[in-house]
Amino acid sequence: MAHMVEVKNLKKRYGDKQAVDGISFTVKKGEIFGILGPNGAGKTTTLEMMETLRPIDGGSVKIDGIDVAKNPQQIKYIIGVQPQTPAFQDKTRLTEVIEMFAAAYGEKVDVMQFLRDVDLEDKAKSYVENLSGGQKQRLSITTALVHGPKVFFLDEPTTGLDPQARRHLWDLIEKVREKGISVIMTTHYMDEAEILCDRIAVMDNGKIVAIDTPRNLIDQLLARGFKKKHLVQQASLEDVFIDLTGKGLRDGSE
Amino acid sequence: MKSDFKKSWFTVFTFVRINTKRFFRDRTAIFFTILFPLIFLFVFGSINGGGGDVSFNVAVISDSQSSFSKEFIKTAQESKVLKVDQEVTSLEEAKQKMNRSELDATIVLPKEFGETATGKTYPSGELKVLYTQNNAQSGIALTAILEGQFKGINDKLVPSVTPFTVAGEQLNERSLSAFDYTFAGLLGFAIIGMGIFGPINVFPELKKMGILRRLSTTPLKVWQYFVSTMIGQAIIGLVSIAVMFAVAITVFHLEVVGNWGELIVFIVFSIIMILGIGLALGGWAKNERQVAPLANIIVFPMMFLSGTFFPRFLMPEWLQNISAFLPLTPVIDGVRLITTEGLHFIDILPQIGLIGAWTVVIYIIAFKVFRWE
Repeated sequence: MAHMVEVKNLKKRYGDKQAVDGISFTVKKGEIFGILGPNGAGKTTTLEMMETLRPIDGGSVKIDGIDVAKNPQQIKYIIGVQPQTPAFQDKTRLTEVIEMFAAAYGEKVDVMQFLRDVDLEDKAKSYVENLSGGQKQRLSITTALVHGPKVFFLDEPTTGLDPQARRHLWDLIEKVREKGISVIMTTHYMDEAEILCDRIAVMDNGKIVAIDTPRNLIDQLLARGFKKKHLVQQASLEDVFIDLTGKGLRDGSE
Repeated sequence: MKSDFKKSWFTVFTFVRINTKRFFRDRTAIFFTILFPLIFLFVFGSINGGGGDVSFNVAVISDSQSSFSKEFIKTAQESKVLKVDQEVTSLEEAKQKMNRSELDATIVLPKEFGETATGKTYPSGELKVLYTQNNAQSGIALTAILEGQFKGINDKLVPSVTPFTVAGEQLNERSLSAFDYTFAGLLGFAIIGMGIFGPINVFPELKKMGILRRLSTTPLKVWQYFVSTMIGQAIIGLVSIAVMFAVAITVFHLEVVGNWGELIVFIVFSIIMILGIGLALGGWAKNERQVAPLANIIVFPMMFLSGTFFPRFLMPEWLQNISAFLPLTPVIDGVRLITTEGLHFIDILPQIGLIGAWTVVIYIIAFKVFRWE
């Protein structure tokens, strides 16, 4: 089967800075693909060009065979976008947020089903300003899926969330993938990439410096003779935290 | 194709429905769009007196013995428009009181005023309105009002000259009441408040939060967003203006002689045109800092020159000629002409044409400069 997403020699320049410098990669149907890299590496710019938000300077992006630069309007029907910091107009009920996003695609959907998908059905009649950060992220995810997209983009989805909310979000992203949707996400968290992503691309200075499965990348590093300075721990501090505070979501505790 | 068309409008009306609900949940928005203009209405309405009364304090100095003059003085004393200070009998006294601003103006009837000149069958004469520099505005306004009143007085005096009294005369007289001018101006102010200050405050905020950006990743088109905003604003605008009319009619005895249907249609199109200015400014600006100075440059001159707070006839003629072409002027004039003079669309084609032309120009600009972020 052909690739769901095909990026070829993609380029973007801001002034004299080459933000994205000729990157290429492909993403399969139902794959979770992570883009990693330090700040300013060009991750967000890459995502924005794929999402039709930024003009493409050079190269091409094809999603499900459709060229993003040539048919942006068609692309919008098959992608879902989760912004870095989800925000909604206040005084809007959750049900109305979903109704509006569905309407933007000209569709009418079973609103409660989409709220149930992200465990927000008991907040259905609340106003969005009364949601916690994690709840806003979940609402945002479900609004990005109202039209049944083929590719789902997430820009640093778990930044600023507590460990419980992060784990919950990972489960949600897994569920999205189970529907056959390709997921492309950026992240700063290596543990997140390792647990969630089937393959990752590591970006630096606008270029992809490595692209493979997390396991292979680690093996390759070890094969180069890398050794951790400290004894490998059997548990991390986060494991301790989760063990002490449990996995249950802490909604509305803010 | 047809289903695409239906879908597009389904999008628009869903946005209208939810955004209108949101508006009525927001107390601050309700305050600024509905109560704020009402406060102005009460303040300006009280200043100008209710029910078409204009508090012009005047003295009437008559050198004439003609029956016309006597009739005029009697009418003046009974008039709601004039408050005649009957203690003043000489021009000297009147001048002193005018200097102390106790009087706005003095009406002087010369000796031959109201006499029937030889060879004529009806009385004639020129009345003088004296006013000081400080009271120039009221003096000019009073002159205009008296000019309007004269027709009525003439008709009462010599019915044989105009055997068929047309109702239009009465309306013409009413149109010159200061409250009518104030009210039309305040409606203009309310429309600016909703149409311009609304979007220029909201849009940059939506951009800052990335809400418009998120919408731009959906197939939502700019025209759908604009049209849904337009319909929503028109609904909210009509509610706000209906409240203003209710207060003006019950508290200030505004008499609406025009056709309500025409008035509503006219107001809706006015709101849409003025909203275009807000959409252009708010849609263009990346943030509040960018939009504020530009909005002030456009809004404040327009507000003052189009007759929002004081009628345009008080301005020098050259300024009136320029301000006649501002977008808000035909709105205020049209509202006044329909409401208090009972004119129909066919009579106010210049105003309608000007609003139409501005709508086209403004929306072309608004679409060109719109940015999602």
